[in-house]
Amino acid sequence: MLAARASAARSASRIARNFATVVDTAGVKVAAVDNGEPTSAVTFLVKAGSRFESKPGVAHALKGFAFRSTSKRSFLGTIREAELYGGVLSSSLTREHLALTAEFLRGDEAFFVDLLSSFVASAKYTRHELHEFVAPVCEAESAAAFANPATRALDLAHLLAFRAGLGSSPFASSGTHISEVDVKAYADSVFSAGNIAVLGTGIGPELLQKLVDQSLGSGLSSSTAPTSSASAYFGGESRIDAHGTPETLFLGFGTVGAPTAELAVLAAHLDPTPSVKWSQGLSPIAAGIPVGTSVKTVLLPYSDAALFGVLIQGATAEGVKAAGKAAVTALKAAGEVKGEELQKAIKKAKFTAASATEGRDGLTSALAAKVFGVSTNSLDTTLSSLEKVDASAFSKATSSLLKSKPTYVAVGDIKALPYADELGL
Amino acid sequence: MVGGPLGLSLAPFITKNRTLYRWVKPVANWYADLSGYRKMGYKYDDLLVEERDDVQRALTRLTPREHYDRQFRLKRASHCSVLHDILPKDQWIKAEEDVRYLKPHVESVEKEDLERKAWENMVIERK
Repeated sequence: MLAARASAARSASRIARNFATVVDTAGVKVAAVDNGEPTSAVTFLVKAGSRFESKPGVAHALKGFAFRSTSKRSFLGTIREAELYGGVLSSSLTREHLALTAEFLRGDEAFFVDLLSSFVASAKYTRHELHEFVAPVCEAESAAAFANPATRALDLAHLLAFRAGLGSSPFASSGTHISEVDVKAYADSVFSAGNIAVLGTGIGPELLQKLVDQSLGSGLSSSTAPTSSASAYFGGESRIDAHGTPETLFLGFGTVGAPTAELAVLAAHLDPTPSVKWSQGLSPIAAGIPVGTSVKTVLLPYSDAALFGVLIQGATAEGVKAAGKAAVTALKAAGEVKGEELQKAIKKAKFTAASATEGRDGLTSALAAKVFGVSTNSLDTTLSSLEKVDASAFSKATSSLLKSKPTYVAVGDIKALPYADELGL
Repeated sequence: MVGGPLGLSLAPFITKNRTLYRWVKPVANWYADLSGYRKMGYKYDDLLVEERDDVQRALTRLTPREHYDRQFRLKRASHCSVLHDILPKDQWIKAEEDVRYLKPHVESVEKEDLERKAWENMVIERK
């Protein structure tokens, strides 16, 4: 068996870089790329993120139910068998997608694809599993996530920026009451034909199609998937009291529609993360950051909206305020950037876009965008669209961004942290 | 206990044979009535041996309503015991009310335990 695997890996490594084509199999879209990796990964990507949820917290609970008992095998059986094969099972939830992933050695595809499809098609959602395992884990996950002030600030920023839909958090707030009936109803609606994509890396597309067809068959319901109304941007200001954590500010803006190249260039232009260790970086914000304060640009693209902003964290409220002022000044002056400066930002944005597709996660998210028809862009078109950004388009995009109402969140010592108007927003 | 948390039972064998089932069923009904637990307001599953880890785990899986009703029946029956009396006839548990509400949970817990035991004692063979 080992010898067979080794030879499979060798022959696969001879195959040049492939591009995935999307095929409809058993009601789901299947796409796979085999670049000759020594291991394979299969992801069932479901449009079941928190923006689609029917009741707050139900998407998080469904994520918690991943790999629990199905009509085919029990929870314990799933874990022990996966361990015997040396595979890794994981689930993750974003605002838009629920991803169920199995990573395993080449040659074990049949078992892991069957495991993933049996969860999608026939999970049991029992009451005792919810109370004994899922609810406590969800509670702990939320508590851990919200203990981080940056996560908390971004979560609240989404709520202010997009309200319903994208505003709903992938973390259930504590005390949320979810019953197994709610989870089952949500699962039935999202695990339907046309709402699931199967993405493979390190596995041939024909093989994956065959396995999905075998294991899923006609197991999917044809119920209509939940839809989320198109995102709209609102903006607003909010403050949360917190102690013992870094003082945190988020100031940003949202855009509606597919994320543009100009926004990526703006993020690259402002990002003060230095390219060389122990240096200050050439970003216009970098000079104004006091010691002990960190500034990061945040660009979170979604299918029909994007949240762009600056996340500032520091030990003292004064430091955060100074860095916030520097960030707002730089943001307002960004429109006049041209020539060398702009080219530098474009290069940085291009590198970020290109290096994001390097790893397995990047490859999967690129495939996901393609499969769900969000963007048919390959890396080349993304890079060329970044290249096409010129000074006039950039300054127009920046000024229109600044015209909208800002999203402003302060987490920490709310008596000392500045208000949005104090920073000049 | 021999035969797991539910004890030994001939029922699976008897229900498989239709003739035997038709003969035994009236006797079983008569016997269940005669044993008198329904007159104390018990259901059969209230009498399961509960001083075991697996049955205790099964009890946590009851819905809050089932749990409350079970506690009520136990309390009412112990009151009967204090009074050395049975309940008034209108409060007796009827045959159709005497459902096995705990049995499925006990069975699933037992199945889980057996499965865990099997996985823990498995022998891996290289193919």
